[in-house]
Amino acid sequence: MTGEFFIKQKRAVLLGMVASTLAIAACSDNLNAGKSCPLLCPEQAITLQDTIIDAVFADTTVLGIPSIGNEVFLMLSSHGDTLDSRAIIRYDTIPQSFTGGSSTDSTITAVDSAELVMPIAAADTLRRPTAPVTIEAYDVDTAATDTVASILTTLFRPDRFLGSKTFAPESITDTLRIPISTDTVLDRILSGKKLRVGLRLVARPGYDIRVGSSAGGQSVALRIKASKDSAATPVVVTPISTTPTDQLFLSGPLSDFSILAKGATPGNPILLSVGGPPPRRAFLRFNIPARIIDSTTIVRASLLLTQSPNRRVDAKDSIKVFPVAVLSTPAVTDVTSLLQFVGNAGEFNLDSLSIAPGDSGVKSFEIVGLTRLWKNQAATVAQRALALLSGTEGQRPAQIDFFSSRAPAALRPRLRITFVPAFNYGLP
Amino acid sequence: MTPLRPRSNALWRGAIGALIGTAGLAARASAQASLSLQGFGFPAGQMSTRTLGAGGSLAEIDPLTPVNPASVALLLTRMIYFQAEPEFRTVHSANGTDNTTTPRYPNVFGAVPVAGGLVLSLGSSSLLDRTGTTTFASPQVLSGTDTVLMTTKLAIQGAMNDVQFAAGWSPATWFRFGLGLHAITGHNLVTLTQTFDDTVAFALSQQQRILSFSGTAASVGVQFLAKDVTFAASARQGGTLTMSAGDTTLTHSRVPNRFGASVTYTGIANSFISVRTAHDNWSVLGSLGNPGLQGVDGWDTSIGADIAGPKLGSRPLFLRAGFRDRTLPFTANASTVTEKSGSIGLGTLFANGRVLSDLALIRASRSADVNASENAWTISIGLSIRP
Repeated sequence: MTGEFFIKQKRAVLLGMVASTLAIAACSDNLNAGKSCPLLCPEQAITLQDTIIDAVFADTTVLGIPSIGNEVFLMLSSHGDTLDSRAIIRYDTIPQSFTGGSSTDSTITAVDSAELVMPIAAADTLRRPTAPVTIEAYDVDTAATDTVASILTTLFRPDRFLGSKTFAPESITDTLRIPISTDTVLDRILSGKKLRVGLRLVARPGYDIRVGSSAGGQSVALRIKASKDSAATPVVVTPISTTPTDQLFLSGPLSDFSILAKGATPGNPILLSVGGPPPRRAFLRFNIPARIIDSTTIVRASLLLTQSPNRRVDAKDSIKVFPVAVLSTPAVTDVTSLLQFVGNAGEFNLDSLSIAPGDSGVKSFEIVGLTRLWKNQAATVAQRALALLSGTEGQRPAQIDFFSSRAPAALRPRLRITFVPAFNYGLP
Repeated sequence: MTPLRPRSNALWRGAIGALIGTAGLAARASAQASLSLQGFGFPAGQMSTRTLGAGGSLAEIDPLTPVNPASVALLLTRMIYFQAEPEFRTVHSANGTDNTTTPRYPNVFGAVPVAGGLVLSLGSSSLLDRTGTTTFASPQVLSGTDTVLMTTKLAIQGAMNDVQFAAGWSPATWFRFGLGLHAITGHNLVTLTQTFDDTVAFALSQQQRILSFSGTAASVGVQFLAKDVTFAASARQGGTLTMSAGDTTLTHSRVPNRFGASVTYTGIANSFISVRTAHDNWSVLGSLGNPGLQGVDGWDTSIGADIAGPKLGSRPLFLRAGFRDRTLPFTANASTVTEKSGSIGLGTLFANGRVLSDLALIRASRSADVNASENAWTISIGLSIRP
């Protein structure tokens, strides 16, 4: 054999070694198998276990949440004697000057036009009335207690009428404009007094519409033209409340709010309610056996609530009901406070249900994410409780009622838990 | 509060039974879905690439194979050794075919000659490798009409390893003797994941635990060298083997005893033609798992050759081939699993003889009295370096 033969062989072997090494280095694992199961997959049968327990040991409904002035939209409702809700908008400070056509500031001495510019909830522009509706504006400024519905509703009278506008169904768009009395506006500008406007919806058949609020970031503006000069800049006034004085945390929200003239429904101890006028939230406290929550892996937890039909208003219009986590520690015991320290909708993978008030039957809220949280935190740290709330609380009149733990046994809240039992996994 | 009220009426049980019946008992989490990975896994290690290339027949005389401590005395210089061994496995069953790739690093070893023919070594090799993942779906009946499809994934990473401290001694040119002390270590990282087709109501479940092994054993080996024949034998006596999870001891057993012997013809220069047999009493590991686990005592018999091939310049080239027949440690569906394998290999020296590189290709066929079969290609690469 020649030397050339050996050199070629040497190169071939080296090449083979390098190729093999590269091939092994490039190997990525692919360990997944399972087609030969169950034949070659012995032992450890895994079967989910399912149980239904009366885990809710305390529940209640609290009215008045969100509190006055904290509505994301203001509810204007007109359902005859069943429901009548109105909106109050405060313009306690109005500028006394405007920018004229020559870009110079001038004192307002006359008002050419004044209108309320009302943003409407986007969803409501698709939910139009079947007949024309009218929105009326009244001067509701008073020296009396200025947040009490029974006092304020008496101010919606002809001598305080500021203006109105009737809207055909197709004219319900994202913004509605209502002209109001220029004399009244000018009077308040010149005198430096407050302008407080009450809005009332007149509709037949019944209708309700959501108007933007300061809490929701899109309030009803007062737009004043102080000159006939088209080049003059209109004065745009946003709601502001100066009462109660020196209490900004209260006066701020009161720049606009809703009041109920008719149709407030009281709480019913047999029922857990969400939504409705006045707005309300439900609170449920749980006691899940330690042998389940601590020793197993819960894969499904369904809060089963039996709905009681409520056909008072908008019985067929579905609203979203959210289960949300109660975030405060057990140190907080007042339920009203607990219901205000809650998580965001959708947090902990809590899913909402879309429910029509007039429905009935068992509704299942999936709360497995919350039970996982409870497993990982001691009961002394995390409240084993949740709140139910409406996605349109304070904005729409729909009220969803469920039977509470004080209802007959078959109707009470229950918890269906599906879990992987503890077992000695991994041993062949 | 009303006490726990499981839904367990006869109708429900019947429905579950019927569904499980039609699903072919699918609601089970497996050890592994292959013939070779039953029980605590596949006995992958404890043979060097050189030995594997010769079908395993050189195990009693190869100094890089941690079987016979007497062979360590063959190492006249300091040496370190590393081995990589991916396996490409195919499992056929009535439900289809699974193709998997398992990277393994079954053997690492170092040796130092001391004096007077005494050589010390320390190495670690895989005794039983359990790395693999099984995924299967099973319908779960929760109540009469409430069902969900659950997909279970059981992923296991890790092996039971044999850490060996060995001493080999050559008191005479015709005799070598060795002793080994073994620590059985390692762990199985077990991850059990269950997912559901209904992702709104059901949340993923994942549990993880580490099964740790600890045990001891001792081994002894001898080699007798005649003019053209070498006879070698070794034995390992197992001590207590414990499996634990965290600080909880789960089970006890014994490290399997083993004995083996080989006869090797050395009448051709730099060549070895050998036949070997060994016996492992794997059955003792049955008590380490759940009650149904069955270990099987088995023989491991092989024949093969390591022949000096043509030289590459000044470098020798070793050509190897062999055949092996063995019983795997654990039953599959109560049937004994056997493996037949053929192998070829080669080796050569680099860097002025300081680096020895070995390559082996093994084709294994595994079978049992079940409606499934398994084949595997294994590439083994060993690298020895004399620092």
